Amino acid sequence: MTERLIVIGGGGAGTAAATVARRLNPDMKVTLFTEFPDIAYSPCGIPFVHGGEIPKFEDLFLSTVERYVADGLDMRMETTVTDVDLARGTVTARNTHEGFDKLVVCTGFVWEKPDVPGANLEGLHYVKDIRAAMEFDKRLDDMRRIVVIGAGPLGVEMAGNLGHRGLHVDFVDEGPWVLSEVLDPDVAEPVHESLTERGVTLRLGTRVEGFSGDGTRVRAVATSGGELECDAVIVCLRKLPSSGLAEVAGLELGTTGGIVVDERMQTSAANVWAAGDVVEVPHGLSMLPIRGLTGSHAYAQGRTAAFNATGHDLVYDPVWVPWGMVAGEYTIGGFSIGEMLATAMGVPYVLAKGVGVSRARYYPGATRTHVKLLAEPGTLRIIGCQIHGGEGVKERADFLAFAAKRGATLADLAWMENIYSPPIGALFEPIAIAAQNGLAELRDRERAAGREAVVTA
Amino acid sequence: MRRLARLKRRLRERSEHYLLLDAARRLGRGVPGTVTPFEGREGLLWRRLFVPLYRRVPWAFKRRAMDSLKMTASGWTPPERRPRQPWRPPPRNQ
Repeated sequence: MTERLIVIGGGGAGTAAATVARRLNPDMKVTLFTEFPDIAYSPCGIPFVHGGEIPKFEDLFLSTVERYVADGLDMRMETTVTDVDLARGTVTARNTHEGFDKLVVCTGFVWEKPDVPGANLEGLHYVKDIRAAMEFDKRLDDMRRIVVIGAGPLGVEMAGNLGHRGLHVDFVDEGPWVLSEVLDPDVAEPVHESLTERGVTLRLGTRVEGFSGDGTRVRAVATSGGELECDAVIVCLRKLPSSGLAEVAGLELGTTGGIVVDERMQTSAANVWAAGDVVEVPHGLSMLPIRGLTGSHAYAQGRTAAFNATGHDLVYDPVWVPWGMVAGEYTIGGFSIGEMLATAMGVPYVLAKGVGVSRARYYPGATRTHVKLLAEPGTLRIIGCQIHGGEGVKERADFLAFAAKRGATLADLAWMENIYSPPIGALFEPIAIAAQNGLAELRDRERAAGREAVVTA
Repeated sequence: MRRLARLKRRLRERSEHYLLLDAARRLGRGVPGTVTPFEGREGLLWRRLFVPLYRRVPWAFKRRAMDSLKMTASGWTPPERRPRQPWRPPPRNQ
């Protein structure tokens, strides 16, 4: 009898799980349920269409529903799964029960709503669904003032892009600098400058107390720093796992509210896997579960779930979370933890800092690249970094996350090989400069303390 | 069981929030362009009791406590991360 796999969710993890499973086992019947009318587009590109960097929303689509159907997938668009019965092996959608042999849950996330008066007024916009974004974009032409709430990655991208579009943007967050839960204050400074140059007014250390309007539509935001007039509010608070369906079905949830999975993406129930923003996976340094990672993590997890659901054996590693983003005219990035998270968690670290250039210093377009490495005292294994500058931030963050996963030390990095080619790489690699500086400082400190220098590099 | 899971979730959420606030206050002090984080009246116990206590405990002990409270992931293989001996340049006289 033909086995049937049901995938709930049509985001990065869900589409990966469905397409990879079908490819691995062409005899398997694979059905994908999604509550949305569209599939296979990049929601992460939405802020850049609003800002005019990408000409149109249609450019964000990577494939079509018809293409997936042609590949043999049973696509159930605009169909919300309302119940999962694990004992019977059925899901319920549109009051119809459908049986499964294997199930992959990829229900993603929802944005946290502000818990203040007026949060149900029209004009509070959440960036997720591309059709809602298209409608919002049409109305943006008639707007002048926008308030963006929440200085997380999406908030920074939205504020920067709307400022670039010529709108007056008030950017409100309780934190002392943007991205304050991950970014170190010294790295935040150039980001602030860049956002301000784009016409964004930073209102940090400020709490949102309510929304008021003309009956139905929001017209102002009340904050601890006074009232801000606006034509719309963009809410970019925390991403919450959309795990309600899984919880009711009896799947185990973890300390982040996400579904608990093992390294094969298997949930607490037999024949049920989960992937993407709805699951929690361990951080490689602390083994503490985290969630809400990037689209590339979601895809890889969906792929892992597909392999194991089709009888193969594939293990997903604890994550070291390389990240990067454009903030105004500036690029920031890193992996794992910075000083901010290390201090909050109480993780001991030594620092290694350096500044280099992205190309030969005489070559047009060369930009300064600041690298800050965090290493474990004693072993000097790298445990985190933050980088800021122009080009090459992403590649360095990716490389360092991989190097950390393999146990690389400051000494390894200090003597790493690098490409020297004037248009693309300088003689001295900024990562190596930072590591050498860090080792030199440690050596000086040991000598000053009267100990024989252990660090000889 | 579900109540215990909710309690652990709440514990993690609150502790992270106040530890991050404390870290932001200390690291941001004197850095240009930063302000004081917003601090409401709530969370007095977290701020005055939990945060100072947590900060006194060494990381290795905290890690063990997190393991025994089952706050860390199970069903996963921790990364080996076995570094080689760091490369060292030869002595100057060779």
